[in-house]
Amino acid sequence: MVAISKKKEAPLNEFNQIVAGNSLTKDAWRRLKKNRMAVLGMIIVILYSLLAAFAMFLPIHPYDEIILDHQHLRPTLNKSAGDLMMETKLEDLYFKAWRSGSLVVTEAQSEQIKKWIKDNETNKVWNFCYTEGERQKAAGTFTFSDADTRTIERLQKSIDSDFLISVEKIFWKDMETGKIQNLAKMSYEEILPVYAAITKLDIPTIEAQVLQEKRAQVMNSIKETNPGLSEEEYQSSLDIEMMSIGEKGIAATGKTNLLGKIKTTITRSSERTLKQEIKEGTVSFPIDKKVTISENLSAEIEATKKHSRHYLLGTDYSGRDMLSRIIYGGQVSIMIGLIGTLTSVFIGIIVGALAGYLGGKVDFFLMRLVDIMYGLPYMLLVIIFMAIFGRNIMNLFVALAMVSWLTIARMVRGQIMSLKNSEFVEAARSMGASTGRIIFRHMVPNSLSVIIVYSTLRVPAFIMQESFLSFLGLGVQAPYASWGSLVGDAVNGMTLYPWKLIFPAIAMTIFLFAMNFFGDGLRDAFDPQSKNQL
Amino acid sequence: MATTSTKKPLLEVRDLKQHFPIKTGNLFNRKVGAIRAVDGISFDVYPGETLGIVGESGCGKSTTVRSIAQLHKPTSGSVIFNGIDMVKADTRTMLKARQDMQLIFQDPYASLDPRMTVRSIIAEPMVIYNNRKLLPESMTSHEMEVRVEDLMERVGLNKAFKNRYPHEFSGGQRQRIGIARALALNPKIILADEPVSALDVSIQAQILNLLTDLQKEFGLTYLFIAHDLAVIQHISTRIAVMYLGKIVEVSDSAQLYDSPKHPYTVALLSAAPIPDPKVERERKRIILTGDVPSPDKERDGCYFYDRCPKRMPWCSCHIPPMFDITDKHEVACWLYSKEDVSKISMEDAQADAAKIKAEAINKQ
Repeated sequence: MVAISKKKEAPLNEFNQIVAGNSLTKDAWRRLKKNRMAVLGMIIVILYSLLAAFAMFLPIHPYDEIILDHQHLRPTLNKSAGDLMMETKLEDLYFKAWRSGSLVVTEAQSEQIKKWIKDNETNKVWNFCYTEGERQKAAGTFTFSDADTRTIERLQKSIDSDFLISVEKIFWKDMETGKIQNLAKMSYEEILPVYAAITKLDIPTIEAQVLQEKRAQVMNSIKETNPGLSEEEYQSSLDIEMMSIGEKGIAATGKTNLLGKIKTTITRSSERTLKQEIKEGTVSFPIDKKVTISENLSAEIEATKKHSRHYLLGTDYSGRDMLSRIIYGGQVSIMIGLIGTLTSVFIGIIVGALAGYLGGKVDFFLMRLVDIMYGLPYMLLVIIFMAIFGRNIMNLFVALAMVSWLTIARMVRGQIMSLKNSEFVEAARSMGASTGRIIFRHMVPNSLSVIIVYSTLRVPAFIMQESFLSFLGLGVQAPYASWGSLVGDAVNGMTLYPWKLIFPAIAMTIFLFAMNFFGDGLRDAFDPQSKNQL
Repeated sequence: MATTSTKKPLLEVRDLKQHFPIKTGNLFNRKVGAIRAVDGISFDVYPGETLGIVGESGCGKSTTVRSIAQLHKPTSGSVIFNGIDMVKADTRTMLKARQDMQLIFQDPYASLDPRMTVRSIIAEPMVIYNNRKLLPESMTSHEMEVRVEDLMERVGLNKAFKNRYPHEFSGGQRQRIGIARALALNPKIILADEPVSALDVSIQAQILNLLTDLQKEFGLTYLFIAHDLAVIQHISTRIAVMYLGKIVEVSDSAQLYDSPKHPYTVALLSAAPIPDPKVERERKRIILTGDVPSPDKERDGCYFYDRCPKRMPWCSCHIPPMFDITDKHEVACWLYSKEDVSKISMEDAQADAAKIKAEAINKQ
């Protein structure tokens, strides 16, 4: 009955299309879809967020693995780290050869090199020396000295043979029951006899050793936080600290320590066998195999050739992959940008709307609070907060969100105050709408344009603030990265290693651009009177 | 009030006062005075009639309507609607009573939320009352959708326009949306706050006719505010004239236009142009001197005393009550008092006023 009447009476527009009910959010979505730049921006933002969120599962090198041989490798599409290392070495040797006079170049070229050196354009010098040296070597007019040849050979050998080994899983076979267990899943009490069996020590000795290690660790941290106490005071605070840690804490530390030790043992022993096998030439990388250390200890290990890695975007000063550092840095930066903005907008809207709508004493007190917080230098507030509650990323979020809602609260308050006396609000009140409904259904949507524009401006500001804090040593700490800290680190060697600056900067710029387009699109989408009509 | 009628009034307003405090200081507010926007008015509205309230700008017409609808909490007095005193009732009772009392606003451009579609605007009262569980039976969203379409058709809007936003409509169409919204809850009385003053004359007529049609169809009662005398004459069955927060004259529409009694009403009516050049040229206008006084002080005489062309010493210190002319015509003017007060000198009048005041204090 209802369905029939609906069909019969369905409202038709001038093209005989049935008009279905609609609302501002649905309309906004349709309008947003029409705005190509905004959709592009949205896609980029989502892509970035996905990349950051699933960085763990991407086939990239670990972002915190330091390989000192791979320092400052330039970005490349096809060359492996070994090739680049060799190139760098050769550049260096050719340059030295030119210095010592064994690499002969024309007078003009020599002048040019000197000029480059004077202008600090080291990269050009190296490039020239390398190409010239290779050319002369191929033509047979230049040969390396014996010492240099040996250096090159040594390097080539280590490039060919160096490998990285990592222990994935350790298994322990119980001799009595014959059960094979994963060591990582065993408890401290279960690992103790295993370790005892491997090292042939008795259990009480090991326990004492673990306790000693834990005490030393706690003592170190106490000494670090409260320097200048007497030995007795240290002892007493150590005892208190150990009490509070308790059996469980000691067991947890003990487990990690023992596991680490067992891992080291396995790594060493398998390294030995691998080296032997390489000498014999019986292995091919990458290796992913199960090794047996003793009759009841076995492990899964992975080994890769150290210098066969490819670094698409180069490496940083301690040989970490820039690509994965940028992706992992995005995690922090995007989180800071988005979560910081969302929380500050959320707090700002609530405070501003309450102050603006309720007025009177509520307004007075809230706005004075805002004034006071404005008066304090906000960086100082953040620094104090971080100092009190400790330096971790969560606290960084809280600290930044805590001080950044002020401006938005004021803006929203102004908007709400101007809307408060408009007739449509009065109409809503005459219909019995509650304060919450009036604020969130009528006033906030009508001030959305200002809020959205401001929040899209906030995102880059947050990313910048975070990098500033990182620069001060209060933000993310190595080995963690953020775009800000990557750029900050790269500024030092800007001319020598420009890629370290350029890539994080490009990543950041694209994100911020996308964010701005997206925000612009959102603002237009939520404004029915905007120009991009349907 | 001596209006004798067998019918029971739908809305009774008794001694309604709406004073807005003037405050100084930020934190510790000190009240230094009050704007007496509505200063003790009483009237009845009977089912099915249209009571027009007319008066110049700033005389408190709109405030009266807002106080009746409890958009401002009245300072004192009572508004009895459906047998419930809305001033004293708690929020829920008041909301339940107010379901039958809806407003139409003056500016159709400002009274519709620019971010809402027509559909959401018209459905909003239903959604709110549904959420608050104040409707006799709860409505599904489909029922609301159907009702919205019905209402749109009823007020003369194409229902295919329901997804449009207010800015896509003309002023007259917007006012129709406002009317549809007011009708959504099937109200008994509609308080119309100058619903046509922002519209073109041709559109005014359309909207007025629509309102008349709706009144016939749904048996609505209107409390209609306007400052346009022609509009008021067209639509009202009874008219109340307001000046400075007081009602000075209440009468049947025809009677008021034929024989205005209060000097202010006479002046007001004489200001209306007559669409006949000959009559217009010969017509005598009564021009009031001075401005409307500020409503921020308490008065103990006639509110119109300062500008009245027929003032008497007595008026300066005695507030006139409503005097009956006929059973449907009341005037607040001492000229129509049964005892003649025109000969009383200023001194005697003031002495009399002082005596009354002293008696009042003694009584307390």
